[in-house]
Amino acid sequence: MILTVIGLILLAIGAVCDLLGAIGIHRFNTFYLRLHAATVGTVGGKFYPLLGVAFIAAEQGLWPVVGISVLAALLVLVTTPVGSHALAYAASKARIVEMELDEFRGEEDV
Amino acid sequence: MRFLPVTLLAFILYIIITGSATPYDIITGAITAVVAGLLFGRYLVKNPQKALNPARWVAMVAYFIKYITVIELKAHLDVIKRIISGETNPGIIKVPITVKDEYAKFLVANSITNTPGTVTVYMDDEYAYVNWIDVKTRDPDEARREILEEFEKHAKRIFEG
Repeated sequence: MILTVIGLILLAIGAVCDLLGAIGIHRFNTFYLRLHAATVGTVGGKFYPLLGVAFIAAEQGLWPVVGISVLAALLVLVTTPVGSHALAYAASKARIVEMELDEFRGEEDV
Repeated sequence: MRFLPVTLLAFILYIIITGSATPYDIITGAITAVVAGLLFGRYLVKNPQKALNPARWVAMVAYFIKYITVIELKAHLDVIKRIISGETNPGIIKVPITVKDEYAKFLVANSITNTPGTVTVYMDDEYAYVNWIDVKTRDPDEARREILEEFEKHAKRIFEG
């Protein structure tokens, strides 16, 4: 019972985070700010719901589902920053966004 | 000996995925794990004694639990507040890093990027270039304290020394 409740709470948190991440992508106007909103969508909106699925399945005794959910959650946590980092680095190289404070670009010019 | 840490990890992952511990699963899991360990051990592990030290695994699990509860919750609430209010002050700043080990650097960079509000743009031997949603300070030491001191402390405990 308690595991199912925890799982449902985590699923609800995931739904809220996904919604707020989507709103953030529309509200923010530059690339990097949208990247921050997308992080709310990936970590809050995918990692926690997958853990919630694992908790609910554990209550039902469906151990393969628990295993795959936990593994998928860990994979999301390890692989999404690689994608975010690649996007940020590419955007910085291509000079998409003009920012007042950019110490990385200053370093590159020297 | 270098294959042993990879073999153990592969075997544990196999048992977690299948979610059962029948003799069939244990035998196939052991065979696959040994093959994976022999194939990849030499690339992934430099020092087997260090990789098999249980204190480091305990430190890793403790850091993981702290990261997904306290640190992520704080960062999420901060960015959600900014999404609703629209107040931002973005910039890319240079933050000094002190960890030297490759895995430790990977852990620090991933932790920074996975926390909403900070994204690692580039990282070399001495500095990490971090895109910060709200640049509170331009002083490198203070920025280091705000962004990555906590991650570095745990990364050192897990991967260095």
